[in-house]
Amino acid sequence: MSMGEYFNFILTRTESMYNTVQLEGHGSFWLVFFIGIFFGAIIQYSRIDKFEKIAGFAMGKDTIVPKILFLAIGITSIALYFEIQMGYASYHIKPIMLQGLILGGIIFGIGMAIIGKCPGTGPISIAEGRIDVLFGAFGGILGGWLFTKYYDDFFKPLMGNNYGKATLMSVSGDYATLFVFVFGIALILIAILIPKMELPDDDGPSLEHDEKVKAGNR
Amino acid sequence: MSLLLLFTFSTFGADRPIGASTYVPYYAGILFGMNPEDYTYLREIEKAGAWEGVMLLGVFVGGLITSIFITKSFRFSVLPDAWKRYKNSSVKSRLIWSFFSGFLLITGARLAGGCTSGHFLSGMSQTAFSSMIFGGVVLVTLLITGKLFYNTRGSK
Repeated sequence: MSMGEYFNFILTRTESMYNTVQLEGHGSFWLVFFIGIFFGAIIQYSRIDKFEKIAGFAMGKDTIVPKILFLAIGITSIALYFEIQMGYASYHIKPIMLQGLILGGIIFGIGMAIIGKCPGTGPISIAEGRIDVLFGAFGGILGGWLFTKYYDDFFKPLMGNNYGKATLMSVSGDYATLFVFVFGIALILIAILIPKMELPDDDGPSLEHDEKVKAGNR
Repeated sequence: MSLLLLFTFSTFGADRPIGASTYVPYYAGILFGMNPEDYTYLREIEKAGAWEGVMLLGVFVGGLITSIFITKSFRFSVLPDAWKRYKNSSVKSRLIWSFFSGFLLITGARLAGGCTSGHFLSGMSQTAFSSMIFGGVVLVTLLITGKLFYNTRGSK
């Protein structure tokens, strides 16, 4: 492929990205873009994209990430249940590819502990000017390329059998409502009960802590 | 956070869960000039990849705006503070490890079919067993790696 052809290819693909989203019926281009902006802004504002937050959790020195995650999942699981009951949403379950989940989980966990980011917070850190994470993105792109290239021959067989899309709700039958509540409330409780620990860095602790310190100084 | 997830799921929003790792192979396909017709995987992720590709552009812009105007944390940096404290002060070491772990992160996420957003946030909110298995494995590996990789004893 010549330089000009390559450039054309990128343009065509970018245009097709726009069209795919626009025509897919999962929100217009701008809606999806704004969901992204809010996602980025919330995470940047809460500062959970910091290396110290995820790597700190891996070291057992920072518990902000699990607290926020469990709280968000707990609340969402209950609220989503109602949203779906009222017909305003539907479930989108990922299948249980047991081997892929376990292997992927291990590889993902190791990577996450070292880089201190997840694929969602990475771009936010890059936007903040973190060069090291940009290198992580190069690695990620390489990973994505290899995965795509050897998907049929290597990666797909590695993911193993599909054991269906069971959920806590689908196996609990008549008790589904009860189970969702127990699940949601249990997660919220876990989030509250995890002791709060923060790993300090040059920027100082998270905003919430910052405000407490300011309040204390007054 | 929850509100945004609920909105995205709802029919008012996008009627689909949030995900943030399919976009990487999607972008890789674009950057490496791979024709979707030649690769099964690119065909499979054509829609999800485009959706996340657009969302992640938004995430980048959202992060940029917030870091410049609200949290005022924008600055070019290479070494995170905790890396200096618990690992080493070598820029080269951080960049190489970043590259390597970024590679692991995406390969792992693609094998499992999701990442923190797709499995943890969106998947577990739907009480999916697949996401709980992934979550459990990641949690354990994360903590073990953290203990082994960083020098957490002694220095404070």
